[in-house]
Amino acid sequence: MKKGNKYGTHRVIEPKGVLPQPANKLDNNMDEIYDNEILIDVKTLNIDSASFTQIEEQAGGDEKKIAEIMLDIVARQGKHRNPVTGSGGMLLGVVEKIGDALVGKTDLKVGDKIATLVSLSLTPLRIDRIKEIRKEIDQVDIDGKAILFESGIYAKIPADMPETLALSALDVAGAPAQTAKLVKPGDTVLIIGAGGKSGMLCCYEAKKRAGVTGKVIGLCHSEKSTKRLQDLGFCDYVFSADATQPVPVLEKIEELTNGEMCDVTINNVNITDTEMTSILCTKDTGVVYFFSMATSFTKAALGAEGVGSDVTMIVGNGYTRGHAEITLELLRESEKLRKVFTELYA
Amino acid sequence: MEKGCKFGTHRVIEPKGTLPQPALKVDNTMSIYDNELLIDVTTLNIDSASFTQIKKACKGDIEQMEEMILSIVDERGKMQNPVTGSGGMLIGTVREIGPNFPDKSLKIGDKIATLVSLSLTPLKIGRIKNINFDNDQVDVEAQAILFESGIYAVLPNDIPEKLALAVLDVAGAPAQTERLVKKGDTVCIIGGGGKSGVLCSYQAMKNAGPEGKVIVVEYSKENAQRISDLNLATHVIVADATNVMEVYHKVMEITNNEGCDVTINNVNVPSTEMTSILITKDDGLVYFFSMATSFSKAALGAEGVGKDINLIVGNGYAKGHAELSLNIIRESDTIKELFSKLYV
Repeated sequence: MKKGNKYGTHRVIEPKGVLPQPANKLDNNMDEIYDNEILIDVKTLNIDSASFTQIEEQAGGDEKKIAEIMLDIVARQGKHRNPVTGSGGMLLGVVEKIGDALVGKTDLKVGDKIATLVSLSLTPLRIDRIKEIRKEIDQVDIDGKAILFESGIYAKIPADMPETLALSALDVAGAPAQTAKLVKPGDTVLIIGAGGKSGMLCCYEAKKRAGVTGKVIGLCHSEKSTKRLQDLGFCDYVFSADATQPVPVLEKIEELTNGEMCDVTINNVNITDTEMTSILCTKDTGVVYFFSMATSFTKAALGAEGVGSDVTMIVGNGYTRGHAEITLELLRESEKLRKVFTELYA
Repeated sequence: MEKGCKFGTHRVIEPKGTLPQPALKVDNTMSIYDNELLIDVTTLNIDSASFTQIKKACKGDIEQMEEMILSIVDERGKMQNPVTGSGGMLIGTVREIGPNFPDKSLKIGDKIATLVSLSLTPLKIGRIKNINFDNDQVDVEAQAILFESGIYAVLPNDIPEKLALAVLDVAGAPAQTERLVKKGDTVCIIGGGGKSGVLCSYQAMKNAGPEGKVIVVEYSKENAQRISDLNLATHVIVADATNVMEVYHKVMEITNNEGCDVTINNVNVPSTEMTSILITKDDGLVYFFSMATSFSKAALGAEGVGKDINLIVGNGYAKGHAELSLNIIRESDTIKELFSKLYV
């Protein structure tokens, strides 16, 4: 077996010298693996929500066209990185082969069912056939193979819950785990895009951390998701608004917080132009956490300066230690959460 | 006097509901609301991307450039270049202060530089007096409005105006460095040889102290030499910051494979996110000042290599940033000399 690099640079075809994520093309030949790789027999791709929304729009909602676009992306790049959004997603599969150098070092065995927690935007992938597209949950069942690098993170699928349920929660595992780190007792927290998958997990975790002296405000878009979040009862206030309109949202938050604004704002929406809303709703000494892959770096940076806000803005890091365990634990802890996730995503 | 919104939305003509910066047109009537400042403008410091675009579009003809600037301001009520979207800043004297403007120490007649972009500042130009090709400055007879949330600096008497402006332009960088770097830290400044890089290096050396390490990564040999000569770093690496593995190996060698506590990215070229991430310790912090940073490259990059680090979006504003950066010029004769030579 050939020796591989920890970060997978041995699979980069072009441009040379870069890591797999920014690369334009990866080697997705799976006939032979390197000594520190894991070969996965892929069952399901969980496409990143911003990416899936973009592909669906481009295809005009037509399933055949969605399949064509996906196959074309992988044929060109050797991985499923959306050329417009730059984002990927994750996958579910079974361990087929383990590189020699990892034997004894990894806790995985051939036949284990795992979810990769690194982005599809850097994972060598081959799609042989697209079997089913489930538009409402951004999941695509395929016949295909993928490679996990030595530095790649993954989670074993737990035995006490259905795999699609575990997968849908693991996909956004970073969000509730970071929420747990950021929110302190007594904080006022705003969750933008609170009715979505990561939004609901963040609301639950935020309320747990902020406690009875804290305040959690959920901003949703559709009437349906607003109603759903209200029924879940995690938030102190839930309201519906267009997050791309800073002024009306700002006025509402001023009213709800007596003009004090929020200590922590967590942005989970998958649409553009919500940076200013996030900044203006946050205290000058507060923190904005951008989980949305639709965030524009320059809009955030220049936006804060333009209104003279001394806010700390953090780029959402999908990985933090223990994030898979923390997130799966939430589904065990909260009946309500598990029920709504099962209904919507499993 | 009418009451204004803190962020100036009362001046937005279209589209309604947006803030002054994304607005297509703002009201540039020069009578103030209760929380505004009226400024007699002497000089516009046009953003370099914007100035270059105007110069090209007019083939360098001064009269045409004057016309173009006047028509932009006439159409939009502000000097926001419709192609680049950018603005710049201005210098002027305070003419009138609204009774509810927050800073009570400001006086009529004070000479100030606005530190918010011209792309959101209501402006009315009476006459263009001179266009200076060397420094992208336009001398004007004009008036402008500063909103309650708008930031500015009173120009000091003890520092030449142009030197002060050059420093104020990047004031956020050293101010954030001051907050982030602790005693004994290992710090890497990527793009440490440029204007903001030099100020960050100076501040990082001061905060990290003798037990700390300050590593500068710089592309240009000349700039790197200057950093060594001026003693603004403990280690200097001459390398292309987009070459991830080369920089990674060099930093690991200097830090005994530990990596850095704080990495500050100041380079204005794309694709340096991964370099910044890989050289930073787990639980460390990367501060992205570069406007060429890609949000998704940073977010997915850290996840992709399984790194638990904090990635921060550089905020050009920090409380007290103007004062802190001007103080560096007062404190350090070497930087004063260098900046006077390079930027004045």
